[in-house]
Amino acid sequence: MLRLRSARVAVGILVLIALLAALGSVLAPQDPLAGGADTLAGVSGRHWLGTDYLGRDVFSRLLAGSRVSVLGSVEVALIALVLGTIPGVLSVYLSRVFEWLTLRLADTLVALPFLIFAVSVTALLGNGITQAMFTVGVLVSPLFYRVARAATLPVARSQYVEAAMISGASTGWIVRRHVWAKVLPPVAVALAHTIGVGFIVVSSLTFLGIGVQPPAPTWGGLLASDLGYLDFQPYAPIAPVLLIVATVWGCNLLADAIRDVSGQEGRALLNSGRARANRVLAEGEGR
Amino acid sequence: MTTVSETAVRTTPVTGAASEAVLAVRDLRIRDEVNDRMIVRGVSFELTPGKVVGIVGESGSGKTLTCRAALGILPAHFAVSGGSIEITGRDIAALTPAQWVGLRGGTVSAVFQDPASYLNPSIRVGAQIAEVILVKLGLGRRAARHRALELLAAVHLRQPALVYDQYPFELSGGMLQRVLIAAAIAADPKVLIADEATTALDVTVQAEILDLLADLRERTGLALVVVSHDLAVVAQLCDEVLVMHAGEVVEHGPTARVLYEPRHDYTRLLIAGHEEYGLERFLDSPEVDGVR
Repeated sequence: MLRLRSARVAVGILVLIALLAALGSVLAPQDPLAGGADTLAGVSGRHWLGTDYLGRDVFSRLLAGSRVSVLGSVEVALIALVLGTIPGVLSVYLSRVFEWLTLRLADTLVALPFLIFAVSVTALLGNGITQAMFTVGVLVSPLFYRVARAATLPVARSQYVEAAMISGASTGWIVRRHVWAKVLPPVAVALAHTIGVGFIVVSSLTFLGIGVQPPAPTWGGLLASDLGYLDFQPYAPIAPVLLIVATVWGCNLLADAIRDVSGQEGRALLNSGRARANRVLAEGEGR
Repeated sequence: MTTVSETAVRTTPVTGAASEAVLAVRDLRIRDEVNDRMIVRGVSFELTPGKVVGIVGESGSGKTLTCRAALGILPAHFAVSGGSIEITGRDIAALTPAQWVGLRGGTVSAVFQDPASYLNPSIRVGAQIAEVILVKLGLGRRAARHRALELLAAVHLRQPALVYDQYPFELSGGMLQRVLIAAAIAADPKVLIADEATTALDVTVQAEILDLLADLRERTGLALVVVSHDLAVVAQLCDEVLVMHAGEVVEHGPTARVLYEPRHDYTRLLIAGHEEYGLERFLDSPEVDGVR
């Protein structure tokens, strides 16, 4: 897969972001929470990206804020992966009742708007990014459910699976040996996409001030405070925005690369996932 | 065909255990539950070890559904609505899915038309056979590979070691059908159902596969159900023939009797049609061994 240049670029970006998340607060040249007299300063050798309205170093705050975004989006993706893929495959094999119930549940979840629902859950369970992202993960899981189910159906009805059944294969064996190989590529594509969507959701929530208490730095929070001082620093929002855009772009690039490598089948399956990701983007822009 | 010597397939005397039926179908009725129609109306036959029963009839006559019922893989909306099927004395109506898993492969097995689509295109054929052995016989990896190679030789593939590591797309239709037969007999079944197993193959390969089936039957006492629309296939292989038409058995008897002294009009029609078209095919086509 790494033969594709786009895949190399994507992996490069994502590894960099992952390193920021792991080491960001250590690498930060200054204390991201310590203010100073030097408020709203421009770019300088001491403050690479200037300072904010309390005199805090913007570069350090960006580095320190990356962990929230990365953990949040990975949480969304993993929860959606587990809650979606497993029932998606099982829906083909278990009883019709289970199939009907999970299908209707997936339809129901799709109908709920992410951000609004996440905000109301934080109101209910307490203002934490973990709770909010868990909710979003549950709401995204129908994507994985549908992708896994769509990939399983043709295999389950294929003649080589029938042949395996006739030679005495149990369902577990068929899933492990024949189904899994077909489910994996589209699910991997959906996973990469979902991580990208997760970044946007985390940024949107922190932009709104949900999930993380104010002094703690976040990409979305930085953007929000920067917007309040556009008169003094019109260039300030560029840094956090570039970071968010680059990360999401990296995820989408990776998803595309996986899709290209896994061939035509993944392509058709992903179009549904694409439409959904675009809807989330539109939803994020709308607020 | 060729010799029997090197094969791994167990040898049991053909005539000895002729008493116990391995597959007994009694007055089987299958209903299409959506359109509320009887598709199969009263099929009966018995299969003892080493015996070959042929089922002939045009498409839609219920041959394949009868076989599928015996394997427990009727398509959705079809159900056995009357009669019984017994496999080695056990009525299949009462079987749980787990019991079916035990029965398939080990006691009944099947090969179908269109061998290419019955193998997973992304797994090497040897591994697909070895897997059956691994799971059904509980052998170790090395032993399973060894036995799979023996089976490939037993179905008269010339270079078993080479074929073992090939993907389905690298093999011809005849070779694929041999691979499928090898997989089907991997766990020593007592009954093998060959549903149009030679239909997609050209005439010479068809003859070779039929020889192979006859050979297996002689060496191992395998009982065969041969389903075909082609009387020639049935004539070559079967002890007993069922002629099916529109879900009913119109004629049932020893092969020679049915073919030479047909009692039912439909059987006469089949035989007449076969003679006519069979002759024409050989006269008209420039390539005698060409694909049909």
